Amino acid sequence: MTNLSPLTGSADEGAPLAGPDPDPSPGRRPRASGMRALVPTWSPKLATGLVLVLGIGLFGLFGPMLVGDPNAIDSMGMTSPSGDFWLGTTQTGQDVFAQLAHATRGSLQIGLLVGVLATLLSAVFGIIGGYVGGAIDEGFSLFSNVMLVIPGLPLVIVIAGFVPVQDRGWWTIGLVLAITSWAASARVLRAQTLSLRNRDYVAAARVAGEKRWRVVSVEILPNLLPLLASQFVFAIIAGILAEAGLSFLGLGASGSQTLGTMLYFAQNGFALQNEAWWWFVPPGAVIALFGCGLALINFSIDEIINPKLRVPKPPKGDAAEAIEVAVAPVPIEGAAAEAPAAPGVVRVEKRRDAVLTVKDLNVVYRTAQPVHAVKDVSITLGRGEILGLAGESGSGKTTLAYAINRLHRPPAEVASGSVTFHDRDGGDLDLLTLGDEELRRFRWAKLSMVFQGAMNSLNPVITINEQLDDVLTTHRPDMPRAERRARCEEVLHLVGVDPARLGSFPHELSGGMRQRVMIAMAMLLDPQVMIMDEPTTALDVVVQRGILREIIRLRDELGFAVVFITHDLPMLLELSDRIAVMRAGEIVEYAEADQIYDNPTHPYTRQLLESFPSLTGERGAFIRTGERTPR
Amino acid sequence: MRYYARKLGFYLVALWAALTLNFLIPRMMPGNPVDTLLIKLQQRGGSVGPDVRRSYELLLGADTGDPLFQQYAEYLGNMFRGELGVSVSAFPAPVTEVISQSLSWTIVLVGIATLLSFLVGVVLGTVVGWKRGSWLDSLVPATTVLSAVPYFWLALIFALVFSSSLGWFPRSGGYDVALATGWNYEFINSAVYHGFLPALTIVVSSVGGWLLGMRNMMVSTMSEDYILTAQAKGLRNRRIMTRYAARNAVLPSVAGFAISLGFVVSGSIVTEQVFSYPGIGSKLLQAVENSDYALMQGIFLVITIAVLGANLIVDLLYGLIDPRTRVEN
Repeated sequence: MTNLSPLTGSADEGAPLAGPDPDPSPGRRPRASGMRALVPTWSPKLATGLVLVLGIGLFGLFGPMLVGDPNAIDSMGMTSPSGDFWLGTTQTGQDVFAQLAHATRGSLQIGLLVGVLATLLSAVFGIIGGYVGGAIDEGFSLFSNVMLVIPGLPLVIVIAGFVPVQDRGWWTIGLVLAITSWAASARVLRAQTLSLRNRDYVAAARVAGEKRWRVVSVEILPNLLPLLASQFVFAIIAGILAEAGLSFLGLGASGSQTLGTMLYFAQNGFALQNEAWWWFVPPGAVIALFGCGLALINFSIDEIINPKLRVPKPPKGDAAEAIEVAVAPVPIEGAAAEAPAAPGVVRVEKRRDAVLTVKDLNVVYRTAQPVHAVKDVSITLGRGEILGLAGESGSGKTTLAYAINRLHRPPAEVASGSVTFHDRDGGDLDLLTLGDEELRRFRWAKLSMVFQGAMNSLNPVITINEQLDDVLTTHRPDMPRAERRARCEEVLHLVGVDPARLGSFPHELSGGMRQRVMIAMAMLLDPQVMIMDEPTTALDVVVQRGILREIIRLRDELGFAVVFITHDLPMLLELSDRIAVMRAGEIVEYAEADQIYDNPTHPYTRQLLESFPSLTGERGAFIRTGERTPR
Repeated sequence: MRYYARKLGFYLVALWAALTLNFLIPRMMPGNPVDTLLIKLQQRGGSVGPDVRRSYELLLGADTGDPLFQQYAEYLGNMFRGELGVSVSAFPAPVTEVISQSLSWTIVLVGIATLLSFLVGVVLGTVVGWKRGSWLDSLVPATTVLSAVPYFWLALIFALVFSSSLGWFPRSGGYDVALATGWNYEFINSAVYHGFLPALTIVVSSVGGWLLGMRNMMVSTMSEDYILTAQAKGLRNRRIMTRYAARNAVLPSVAGFAISLGFVVSGSIVTEQVFSYPGIGSKLLQAVENSDYALMQGIFLVITIAVLGANLIVDLLYGLIDPRTRVEN
């Protein structure tokens, strides 16, 4: 529907538009609710993976009991597969199939041994180090990093070279392989533990005085489980591969029979020269298929670790139909957008000079249970007006804002309605039917946005200058470099940020400064509309106030219109010209700010106003400065 | 600056650890490698003077009565002077000479193959991640099969198909032995021709890992707020993909380079064996087969130092591409 279709987000990730109930609080618990989240979702990949792993596992477990003696020598050497010998025979007439069964068992055994040992080692060094921190972490981390950069196989080969053949047992090899292979996953686990430790909810648990082991086992370990599982799976693959390599070089456990030794004998029995593919293809294929099976299972585990990786399932046809009926779609009429808004909802007469008209807009999240996030919303934004959009979390205000600029991502979808932009130069643009390229040109040039997550809205790895400059090079390709630079400095100056900050990276700025940079960026192209989605929510009151003043001042100077979204109705009363109150996707009240202050008509508006604490006990005392900005 | 100092310090510690490991391993193992070695040396007609014996004893450990610490100090001294002893299998060549002959082969082969597979993997991963949900996703399971395939087995298959059956590439060796070694077109041409299959093996078996890692990071990165901002800014998709998504998504791949490099080096040792490539991996195995302990240890050290060096370069590079590392704590 939009040009953003590849950027599908899944409903579970809680990204701004992925659910009808966007949760603005940073540092949310990443754990999906309930144990169901820890069970991989069924998928063809998982099924294939399980079939492969179980099949080969069973073959290794029971195969050796069912086949003949793998070492029995026969006079019939190097025969290709036949009824008697399913996979042919070796140079000395041994049954390749029988050998394969025994070798599979041997390889699985060693893989499992290495997997368990390596995972244990990595868990000890990674999780404990990562959580405890301090000198222990430094030491553990240094140790695992050193182990990591020392290449494993050469080390194993050297060790194996020193150990006489008769001493090279199954356990010795397993242990050596585990010791040389745990470090990578310890590092991953440590990084994850560190990141979990610094999440807000873990910090909260620590501040609350929870015991260390409890924090680790309740807050951190459950979040690490999928990662541990995936590391275990990888350790098994790595173990099997490393053992195979070692045995192929003739340095494996003495007397052992693994897929690697099979390949060793095949190589030394000139299987390749004789093109006896049946001898050396099956052992490698078993390793590859087993590894592939584990990797496929790992995909499903990865999707638990990182729900963003899931490809959202398209909704069932019926559900989509059902919502269509419920919505009772209104045909999109670009030209009719000028018509007065639906009666009953919009009580304010249409301004003479509107810049944005939203008419009967419906946005639906096409998930398994469709959610009608925006219902028949009609608003008109006057030129230079500040329109406040108030409502509780999940009332659909953010969804509405994003739909205006078509930034909503699937499964959100505009079911019906129209959004018309009335350009300063006179032309009207129907935003919902704009082509991809036209839409791209329209964005930011005429309508810019300051986001809810403005703290994270800056690209962390490039400088402020590059991010501002990007806008100019894209939208004003002919602008000379010096002019671009001057413009960037000018907008920073406008929002009260030292232009010397242009060379800074986002992490070098404070939260308030980053927000100001975002506002500066939004003004770069002198847009006619600016949508601000909770731009000050994450900031402290003093900074918040400073930025609000700035916004009003800039609006007065530059004359852009603002759609200001927040749950903070008292703030809007000070700031806006008109206010729309949203609830459950509908606009329940839409009036001048004064009117809402003096005489709110809808019970929900009154409820919202009353929900803000009053110091004096009288209604109206919630106004924080005590004075209304004259308007 | 602190970031770079820390990194440098770390690699010095790692180097010291490798040297120490090299010192301890033969001393912890059963058997008496010094005697084995000296007998072999005599068989080859080498003179076994007391100084030769002494240098082997320092390298491999023997009951000389000297305290361990003194042995260690002398061993470190020998290492810094580059005295790695005499190779038995290539007698009378010293270990350093044997290594210097084969090292460049491996560095060029593994270096080019790794760089190639990293670049190809990252670029493909970027595109597959960006176009998630399209047919490109079916590439992903295919890559896992490739990364689960043992290097040497893939090498065997390639050798079977491309040289034994089709005869497109030579079955073994690093160059045409009829040619004189040198920097001339003919020789380089033959080296490239011979190195093609081993390099292909390394690229094919390691590209999947890069691709998958990059793809997954792309998918995660694409739900970041700054991507949404970039879209709202009206930037072109291509620019968002490269400068906003991929630029951030590639960081873990670069940071994880150290991990992968170890695997690649390990894999290439075995690959060299399959193709009888004149690199350091084949030499290592030759040393093991001949109980040429001095050469074994020398090669282990050199491989380790090469890997450490490569990682150091990548780490320094990482400091350049992620500004946040420079203000660590």
